[in-house]
Amino acid sequence: MAKKISRRNFLKNAVMGGVALGTGLGGYRVTYGQTKKAAGPIKIGGQGAISGAHADYGWQMMAGSTLAIEQINAKGGILGRKLELKFMDEELKPATAVKNARYLVTDWGADFLFGVDSSGSAMAIGPVLPELNRLFFFTHASTHRLTEELVAGKGIKQIFRMAAPVYQDALAAWVFKDNPEIKRWAGINCDYEYGYVAWNLFKETIKKFRPDVEFVAAAWAPFWTMDFSSHISAVMAEKPDAIFSTPWAGEGMMLLRQALMLGVFDKIQAWWQCMGGSVDLLEGISREVAADKFKGKLWATARYIHNWPATPENKAFVEAFRKRWGRFPNYSAESSYSSIYAIKTGAEKAKSLETAKVGAALEGMELKTPGGMRLIRKEDHQAIYTVPAGRVMMSPDYPIPVLGDLKIIPTKEYYRHPPFTPVAATK
Amino acid sequence: MLEKLVFQSLIGLSFSMYLWLLAAGLTLVFGVLGVLNFAHGSLFMLGAYATFTFYGKLGLNFWLSIALSLISVGIIGAILERLFIRRIYDIDLAYQLILTFGFILIFDDLVKIVWGGVAMIPPMPHFFEGNLSVLGRPFPIYNLFIIFAGLAVALALWLILEKTWWGRMIRASASDREMASAIGINIPILFTTVFVFAAMLAALGGALGTPVRVVAPGIGTAMIIQAFVITVIGGLGNLKGAFVGALIVGILTSFGILLFPVFELFIIFVVMAIVLMVKPEGLFGK
Repeated sequence: MAKKISRRNFLKNAVMGGVALGTGLGGYRVTYGQTKKAAGPIKIGGQGAISGAHADYGWQMMAGSTLAIEQINAKGGILGRKLELKFMDEELKPATAVKNARYLVTDWGADFLFGVDSSGSAMAIGPVLPELNRLFFFTHASTHRLTEELVAGKGIKQIFRMAAPVYQDALAAWVFKDNPEIKRWAGINCDYEYGYVAWNLFKETIKKFRPDVEFVAAAWAPFWTMDFSSHISAVMAEKPDAIFSTPWAGEGMMLLRQALMLGVFDKIQAWWQCMGGSVDLLEGISREVAADKFKGKLWATARYIHNWPATPENKAFVEAFRKRWGRFPNYSAESSYSSIYAIKTGAEKAKSLETAKVGAALEGMELKTPGGMRLIRKEDHQAIYTVPAGRVMMSPDYPIPVLGDLKIIPTKEYYRHPPFTPVAATK
Repeated sequence: MLEKLVFQSLIGLSFSMYLWLLAAGLTLVFGVLGVLNFAHGSLFMLGAYATFTFYGKLGLNFWLSIALSLISVGIIGAILERLFIRRIYDIDLAYQLILTFGFILIFDDLVKIVWGGVAMIPPMPHFFEGNLSVLGRPFPIYNLFIIFAGLAVALALWLILEKTWWGRMIRASASDREMASAIGINIPILFTTVFVFAAMLAALGGALGTPVRVVAPGIGTAMIIQAFVITVIGGLGNLKGAFVGALIVGILTSFGILLFPVFELFIIFVVMAIVLMVKPEGLFGK
């Protein structure tokens, strides 16, 4: 069936002329001209994890983008055309993500793409984009290599990243650099690219501030780890002062529950949960935070947190999201929402939907988004905006925990800047 | 160093027991029914979701919730066996894989429709909070409980298979189905009861995980690969093998994380490969 459609599309394009044709495995590859349809909706193809322990992240992307699309459509769409969304499951598998991207463009006819949770998936999609000739707004996948290597290095201009990358995970270095009692660090990290890079960046950064710190243990947990007891017990055997940890979503919940059972928070000074400021995780640990089980030692960040910044844009977004979906938005919802608005701003500035024109219009642009002012950096297409770090705590203003005692570090300090020096993406 | 190893092996032992509960039903169904049930992990997941619902959502007593979840999953198991599994006993293994794999997808989507995609975790039962000091380090009371629960299930299974009439029927039909039938054992009914029993074992594994693990679509598949490794190491269809296999995999994984964190993931697969080379039928296989 899929093959049939792509052949029909192929013929249609051949008739219209201007096709570039390459032969790939098992069929035709078609590079699209974008002038073929003038009317009809603008099609936006998204994908994220909507199954498994990380399923809420894809849901949040879908919820955030849907909200933006409904708002934009209610006001007449983009350049007079309405928007239409199709959202697919990337399953955190690179092969699936690439297949989805191809399907969305060649079969469904997407004009713009966005989404993706897994860094592996993002790195697989990136090189395919010039051929698909579509802009892809990455809304979560956070490896620095996506923007540093593929955009700044290889010049793949179709990649844009709206979410803060892994640079942010190293904020722990700024948060804890002035605590002389925290000297011995241990890591419990994801056994894939994100975990390696986050841990390496953190080590590199804190060493600069604090040559006296030691890294006493590291445990690695693959996707789908259900039992972290062995990891926790292995690093606690080295008596660390603090723990740096990257498992996110449901895995983060299990890790923290199991750490509480192993009495970790009686022994350490601080626990840094990189993406601990995500809504699903905050919901999951509400009871423990309210009962002060973490003893105020749990610190976290997130690529956006709903209680910051205190701007009218953010307030309006959180209210609209809660009204539409009955939950708080997490960061992948915000970055997806902002991606849709970036498409709108870029297309309206370019007065066109053509990939190259919209892409060029977005370079160096400043966008007012719920997460604050985003600057789309020209060299690497990375959106630069401030994200806070803070202590996980209850607030009388919210039914779930928030980040408090916020530390706001200027982006100039913790973002990496071109020209980029390599960071090891290995254990 | 020795203290570290002992502590780590106790943590590994509790991990082994979760694996054992899952592998036991898997290997029992293979040994008696001759079916490699990929959907066994889904029954584990349903046990976890049922316990989460009864205990975490409806606020019922923890033990009652476990009992209710075993009954619910047992009923689902009976329906599965009566309507579907029984049709594939005599056909090619490939069809078993397709059918049972299909059920994984169906159950994963089903729980997403009923419970949503967000990972959820219920509160810890109060009587399980806290820890004991073992070698000067805090050891969770819950992990201790899991170790005892796993050993109790092993003992109960042994008693059932060795000392009861039902157990003798199971052993008889596992070793020679036709002969068992000839001496008057009602094989179809026996198979249903064995499948239901295995489903309840899977549900028990899922249920006992709920206070320390999230429920999320797909948690069954997360564990089932390790359970397969265990049954292969121990010998497919052999309960004693599954128990020893679970001990090996759980404790070695735990040691690996402590001693060789960089390549710990390979260790159990290396062990499996060695067992397959030296004794392809598994440690306790015939």
